[in-house]
Amino acid sequence: MDPALSPHLSQEQADEFALGSLEPEVAALVRLHIEECEPCRQLVSDGQWVASMIGMSAPPVEAPSHLKGRVLGAAGIRRSPFQTVVRFTPAATAAAAIIVALASLAGLVSLRGQVGDLRDENASLDAQIDTAIAQRVEITALTRRLADGERASSEIEAAARGDRALLLALLSPESQVAEIVPLDETVPTVGRLVWDNTQKKVFFVAMSLPAVGQDETYQLWVSADGRFFSLGTFGPDDSGFVRYETTLPQDLKSYESAVVTIERAGGSSSRAGRTVMVTDLSDLRR
Amino acid sequence: MLAVAARDEKAFAVLYDRYADLVFSASMRVLEDSQLAEDATQDIFVRIWRRPEAFIAERGRFVSWLMSVVRNRSVDEFRSRGRRRRREGLPASTDQPDDAMAMLPGNADDPLREAQLHEEQRLVRAALTTLPPEQKLALELAYFGGMTQQEVALALNEPLGTIKTRIRLGMQKLRRSLQDLA
Repeated sequence: MDPALSPHLSQEQADEFALGSLEPEVAALVRLHIEECEPCRQLVSDGQWVASMIGMSAPPVEAPSHLKGRVLGAAGIRRSPFQTVVRFTPAATAAAAIIVALASLAGLVSLRGQVGDLRDENASLDAQIDTAIAQRVEITALTRRLADGERASSEIEAAARGDRALLLALLSPESQVAEIVPLDETVPTVGRLVWDNTQKKVFFVAMSLPAVGQDETYQLWVSADGRFFSLGTFGPDDSGFVRYETTLPQDLKSYESAVVTIERAGGSSSRAGRTVMVTDLSDLRR
Repeated sequence: MLAVAARDEKAFAVLYDRYADLVFSASMRVLEDSQLAEDATQDIFVRIWRRPEAFIAERGRFVSWLMSVVRNRSVDEFRSRGRRRRREGLPASTDQPDDAMAMLPGNADDPLREAQLHEEQRLVRAALTTLPPEQKLALELAYFGGMTQQEVALALNEPLGTIKTRIRLGMQKLRRSLQDLA
């Protein structure tokens, strides 16, 4: 599972994240994604509900009675609001107050100082924790941006290599170019097939190629001896431009035609989809 | 939680009374150390008091959010102490007798809510017992053991794909069984 490559999470991925069973780096990507994606956040929320039920199944253990005082104290709440206040008569109250005051007077000043120090220390620790958490989030975001940058750099490098190969093909005296035209004359697509015997490659270049549905792809086929052989699948960019290259089919001795069809996503093993572009290759030199 | 967010100390005390045992129990299940579980419980409640805005009601039930906080905090503690080790055999059984719930202290402030929470816990345990043992084990190792799927696969000496399938099927079945609690 690589959420970076998929637009949205599946319920299974959301469950794995909610359960805490994803590898940390993948979980970090999911965490960043759901911050910005409401549908995926809903999926994770549903998974967290199921996961929380697992948590609730833990064998019941009673929290120690002294823990409440510890928690309230650490929260800065001086006394439990549920603590019963016993009301004494004014005289008894005054006497008790004097006794308590006398008994605690000696230690009160130093205790107050210690409590103050502890609170300061606690506040300082809290600030450090907050800073650490903020830094962690920032590092995760930076790591993500770095990975995105590296990926973009690789894509640009690959595109440059492809451009160079296409230029060489166009310059080579061993190359041949065939125009591949759309069957629907109202479609403004312009396409060329470049057969480069020097580099042993075939290039398909087209402009104004309409986008296909998410569950579809374009697929290039070449026919030989009445049978069609797939040369692979491709898709246009946002502007309708496509540059696709593949290796020359070595085992084919002659070519009759080439077509472009629209197949289901992932491509078909045999030509089955609607044909949208075609060219005659019978004049191709071999 | 709205009252806690409004710095209502009484509301915070009620919140503690209602969920302390749940939080402590889940922490104990992960950490298997009462002192560490106390520390985790304290830390979780103090954070709730100081940052109540961390819970966003629109994103789900409070108890779901709370349990995810408990799980993450406890697993972090478990890992940070370097006490993680491969556990032998099954984790501690969750098949407690129903009357174990009677050990939990009541909450005079809102006995209805307390009873609802206990009833949910009882139903959850019942739902978990309907899972095939290998699915239940995979879910528990991931949730309470803080293990990734790869680590669960290694611990059980099973292929990763098998573990992913068990977790997927286990979550699906549990979700269906618990629909009435939603």
